[in-house]
Amino acid sequence: MNNGSSSTMHGPDQPEISGPAPAPKSLRTKMGKPEDSEKKIFHKKLKDVEISVPIVYGNIAFWLGKKANEYQSHKWTVYVRGATNEDLGVVIKRAVFQLHSSFNNPTRVVESPPFELSECGWGEFEIAITLFFHSDVCDKPLNLFHHLKLYPADESGPMSTKKPVVVESYDEIVFPEPSEAFLARVQNQPAVVVPRLPAGVALPPPVPVEDPSNRKRGDTKDHPLCQWFTNFSEADELLRLATARQQVQTHIAKFRREITLLEGQHQQVNSVSDQ
Amino acid sequence: MDAKDILGLPKSTHPASQEKKSRPLKESQRKPDGISREVYALTGGVPPLMPAVEPLQLKKRPPTDEKITWQWLPFTSSARKDNLQLYHWVIVVNGIPPTGDYSFAKYNKSVDVVKYTDEEYEKHLTDDMWTKEETDQLFELCQQFDLRFIVIADRFSSSRTVEELKERYYKVSRSILIARAAAFPGNISEHPIVKEPYKFTQERDRKRALSMVLSQTKHQERKDYEVLAEAKRIAESHMAARNAKESELLVTFTMDSERAIVFGETLSPPSNSEFAPAMVAHSTSMAENASTLVSLRMLRVYLRTYALDQMIQAASSSAGLRTIKRVEQSLQELGVNLKPRVPTKAVCAQHLDLRKEILTLLNLQKQLQHKEAEGTSYHDGPYETPGTPKDRTFVPDSTSFGGEVLGDRVGKRDQKRKALGRAEAPSLPAQSKRPRKLRASDL
Repeated sequence: MNNGSSSTMHGPDQPEISGPAPAPKSLRTKMGKPEDSEKKIFHKKLKDVEISVPIVYGNIAFWLGKKANEYQSHKWTVYVRGATNEDLGVVIKRAVFQLHSSFNNPTRVVESPPFELSECGWGEFEIAITLFFHSDVCDKPLNLFHHLKLYPADESGPMSTKKPVVVESYDEIVFPEPSEAFLARVQNQPAVVVPRLPAGVALPPPVPVEDPSNRKRGDTKDHPLCQWFTNFSEADELLRLATARQQVQTHIAKFRREITLLEGQHQQVNSVSDQ
Repeated sequence: MDAKDILGLPKSTHPASQEKKSRPLKESQRKPDGISREVYALTGGVPPLMPAVEPLQLKKRPPTDEKITWQWLPFTSSARKDNLQLYHWVIVVNGIPPTGDYSFAKYNKSVDVVKYTDEEYEKHLTDDMWTKEETDQLFELCQQFDLRFIVIADRFSSSRTVEELKERYYKVSRSILIARAAAFPGNISEHPIVKEPYKFTQERDRKRALSMVLSQTKHQERKDYEVLAEAKRIAESHMAARNAKESELLVTFTMDSERAIVFGETLSPPSNSEFAPAMVAHSTSMAENASTLVSLRMLRVYLRTYALDQMIQAASSSAGLRTIKRVEQSLQELGVNLKPRVPTKAVCAQHLDLRKEILTLLNLQKQLQHKEAEGTSYHDGPYETPGTPKDRTFVPDSTSFGGEVLGDRVGKRDQKRKALGRAEAPSLPAQSKRPRKLRASDL
């Protein structure tokens, strides 16, 4: 089982295979060859096809312990990673981290994945992360905001240099009308969730990716901090939501019954008083 | 008495007359200059509460040491090209008459009508429909009447319409300008005549349409208005239905429908026939949902959490702040995060639907309370019906989401109601702040 099953019935959006896991190969091979009459221009945007990129962004902060001084008590890393630790470089061209003005060169640009930034400091502040995408993906950047957390919420425990403070947020970057070029390029990329294409629409086969060993690895599967990464699963939340909806629906039904009952009573009363 | 007073004769020692003596004295003392005694007496012989404008001040003028006279003098105007000598009254200050041009000469503006030579005419301006004489005459009239084409059309020898005259004039001017610019290099592309050429057919149609609108009878106006309103309603219902459709089904859109969606606001009735009649009864919530979707699509890129927020806002737009707080309270009681921790597409969809259902639940609850109130009022008669309870806590026993206790509590309420029957007012939950209703058993 890999995909969120209830999305087809409830969402106002089109049915889509979504969720952190990538779409299985079997669906992709179902695509036939594009017919000449339906051949679309490569830069044409596809409606009803939504590409989403699940990401996790946040920070990990280590107390420096003995090595800490007044101005540098923690070493922290702020980052944006794929939710399943896949390489985001296929979508994101560069990430700009805007730090507090007290830092030197507070505008830090990261040109290649993994999109992260490490620094030493003592203060917690809001970091603005701007993601710039490749030209065939989107020409507009996207902003994220993360509040840097260094100190543990529970202040009673002793600070440890071994156990960091980790704050991560899950979100998904959505491209509602991707260009065909983009779609074609990323259809086999694990970092990107590509839905089943509507009937009749087909893509040319993906351009073969350059030999990955030539490029530096952009994924975070073996990242030095990966042991602290949170594994976000939608299963638990889906379950709670389903249960909650059940309860609410039961109540709704009950209320509706009560209302009809009362309406019936009123009608009778009315007819009595009319006599 | 007065007479004696006026005459200044000695008065008697009668106290009343003493008073009278003093009063007129006072009056005559206090009466200010500038207004007559009788008028002053109107105010009761007392100065007004508000300081009145001293009439004498009104007539005063600043003292001027200039000698001013008025003289009948001749003048010239730069606007006149003939030698006509005119005269007028002129203020002369200290013997110096005013200098400068006639003050109204600056209003003598004229239009720069193009003047072409005969060679230029031969080279650029010949036309099948127009003779040189006609063109010359046209331009003369244009110059004379400052491009007032209505007048020019009236004076024109042959019967040409205003549009024809305008077209000829602008075409000629344009050609001349372009031809001259070619000879002496200069950029005239910004010149209004060159930039926006006169469009004959467009003007003709525009004026025709205008006159039609102007000459519409009241009856026609009303009919037009009704048709437009109807069209708008149809367009909106189709838009909502179509947006709902396109989001629920997988449809390959043709170019036509694509265009129609983009210009959805301006749908006219004929193009509606392309789509199947709305099979979904559109509610306002659907329309709001649809419009949020459209606006999200425009963004090109957005975060799932942002999209969820927008949808929540759209869904709660009809709800007040208190209701929204109640929804959030319910979510917490149900053990659901107000903001999903893992906002995947599926989770967001479920979350949104849950919120909507809670809203429905709250509305139903309110409805139920109203029904109950109605019910009690039938039995009470002259007693005042309760107003909408103001501070009702959200969770009366029967609707708290306290897990398994649920079913029992609601059941009990049902039983109670059935037991009482319709002759008695239903007993209300303990938390109710409404006054206790009169029961049949109390009568």
